[in-house]
Amino acid sequence: MTPELIKVETESGTPVVYLLGDWGRATRQPSAAQVAETLEAGGQLRVVVDGAALDNAHPRVAAFVHALGDALARKSVSLETRDLPDDISALIALASPTPAAPERSRRPGLLARVGRRAGAQASIARNTANLVGHAMALTPALVSGRAQTRWRDFVELVRETGAASLPVVTVVNILIGAVLGFIGAVQLQTFGAGMYLADLVGIASAREMAAIMTAFIMAGRIGATFAAHLATMESNEEIDALRMIGVSPFEFLALPRLAALSLMMPLLFLYGATLAIAGGMIVAHIVLGTPPVAFVERLQDAMSLSEFVIGFVKSIAFGVLIALTSCYIGLNAGRNAAEVGRAATRTVVVCIIGIISIDAVAALCTNALGI
Amino acid sequence: MAELSDNQNLERGIVVRDLRLAFGDTLVQEALSFAIHPASIFVIMGVSGCGKSTLLRHMIDLARADQGEIVFDGKRLVTDDRAERAALQRRIGVLFQSTALWSSMTVGENVALPMQLHTKMGAGEIADQVAFKLALVGLAGQQSRMPSELSGGMQKRAGLARAIALDPDYLFLDEPSAGLDPITSQRLDALIMRLRDALKLSVIAVTHELPSIFTIADDSIYLDNQSKTAIAHGDPHRLVEHGPDRVRAFLKREPIEAEETESI
Repeated sequence: MTPELIKVETESGTPVVYLLGDWGRATRQPSAAQVAETLEAGGQLRVVVDGAALDNAHPRVAAFVHALGDALARKSVSLETRDLPDDISALIALASPTPAAPERSRRPGLLARVGRRAGAQASIARNTANLVGHAMALTPALVSGRAQTRWRDFVELVRETGAASLPVVTVVNILIGAVLGFIGAVQLQTFGAGMYLADLVGIASAREMAAIMTAFIMAGRIGATFAAHLATMESNEEIDALRMIGVSPFEFLALPRLAALSLMMPLLFLYGATLAIAGGMIVAHIVLGTPPVAFVERLQDAMSLSEFVIGFVKSIAFGVLIALTSCYIGLNAGRNAAEVGRAATRTVVVCIIGIISIDAVAALCTNALGI
Repeated sequence: MAELSDNQNLERGIVVRDLRLAFGDTLVQEALSFAIHPASIFVIMGVSGCGKSTLLRHMIDLARADQGEIVFDGKRLVTDDRAERAALQRRIGVLFQSTALWSSMTVGENVALPMQLHTKMGAGEIADQVAFKLALVGLAGQQSRMPSELSGGMQKRAGLARAIALDPDYLFLDEPSAGLDPITSQRLDALIMRLRDALKLSVIAVTHELPSIFTIADDSIYLDNQSKTAIAHGDPHRLVEHGPDRVRAFLKREPIEAEETESI
């Protein structure tokens, strides 16, 4: 049981709040809002706080009196103090009264909110179209080496997106191929069709899985890095510094990233698809006892070059998507630390949705074309 | 100090006429008119949040005002002519508040990049220029260090070397001594004055550091965040004695009337 810290009495019609005991030791203290509510019920215009019975001058008392004063002031009740320890009075005098909270602006109506959202989406769509157009317009300059960008940055970006991504691309693709192999082996075995495992693993890897998994890895690994890097540059005024020497941030920063990713993605895809098929081959050997030579022979019969071409073309599209998304989000991020993290996350989310969407559209198209 | 008549056009120097700065519906400053003479140091001063940096961003065309104009050497800053715009940009050097050195490049590359992009100099010439610019700011031989390896004061000086890389006529400094100790900040002030004299630079500095203001300023403007306009214009040494109350209080570091303390 906590000792009593306040006592309210009425002296000739005016409520008096007596502060008692040692506020420093008490584990809990009365809430000013609650006290104010009980006081205000009497409809008084004036309340007195008496500090004569306090054991010591603990700053918590000052916080309480300050809060009580604010709470009462909102109800147009004045608060007077008497016999407060000098230190407490001085502390209270130092604190300025809390201004009344501004009235919260009314939430706009449904129609207004829908309109604003639509407007925001339209501006994103316009900016995206702008970005794609910009990228296409600058491609000749990039290819001929006339773009305002640094060759050395490009080489470093190629290393970062390409060679440095090899370990994780290797692991993920081998495992995906192996998983496909396991699922396929178990199912096909029941029909005695284990021989066709090569068809399943080969076609699935080359057409879909290697391209998609590699794109996911790159979205998480490279897209997030690009977005966070550019957002940090924006918050450090580095982008402004580029504009000041007359350099287009898009040309200088986004273009080499776009080039590096659209160059490296298809190469990583070819590498990943080969490893995924190898993963399936290992599983076929272990689970079904298919010799690798037989697996490869079956592959040659089952697969045409077009399977690889489909995956290859899609992976270029994924690379362009990741580069443009990450650069767009990074260059348009706000100027603070939280925005940097948000830019990275948003990039990954948008890229994943975009990759799946592009893949679905590609599946529809290839189906319609009968490839 | 320059009293500005309506149709005055300085042949050299900057003229700002009836500029209005706002973020959406929030007015920052309005009716700003002043002139900056060549080879002088002009200080934009005022309390935090009065719009000093916003004015600077407008003067280097990183933001556009909806009203008023800024004229450099008789030519308007805001122009749709790309060549004219690029030519003007080349004559402006900026030291940003956070120095804004490109963090993925070495100090030398930071200073070299503007020259690589804007001049036809060969690699050897550029290297010589970089070495010279770094020597001017007291960072001789630091070309290969990364910005993150430098102390705050060295970063400012590297930023200054980059800002003067293209031998600009105008040097803009956004809070140059922010975050520096008194000694480093005094050295930076001395450096700025030496550069003005040696390179005939017009320096426009945003600052609220009193020692800096009194040391470097030839001319100044005080942006008031209550009346939302400039309430004083002139040499700070004169303003500290004869300026309006709020400007005198600011320059003497004295308390202002109680009602204004909430604007801290």
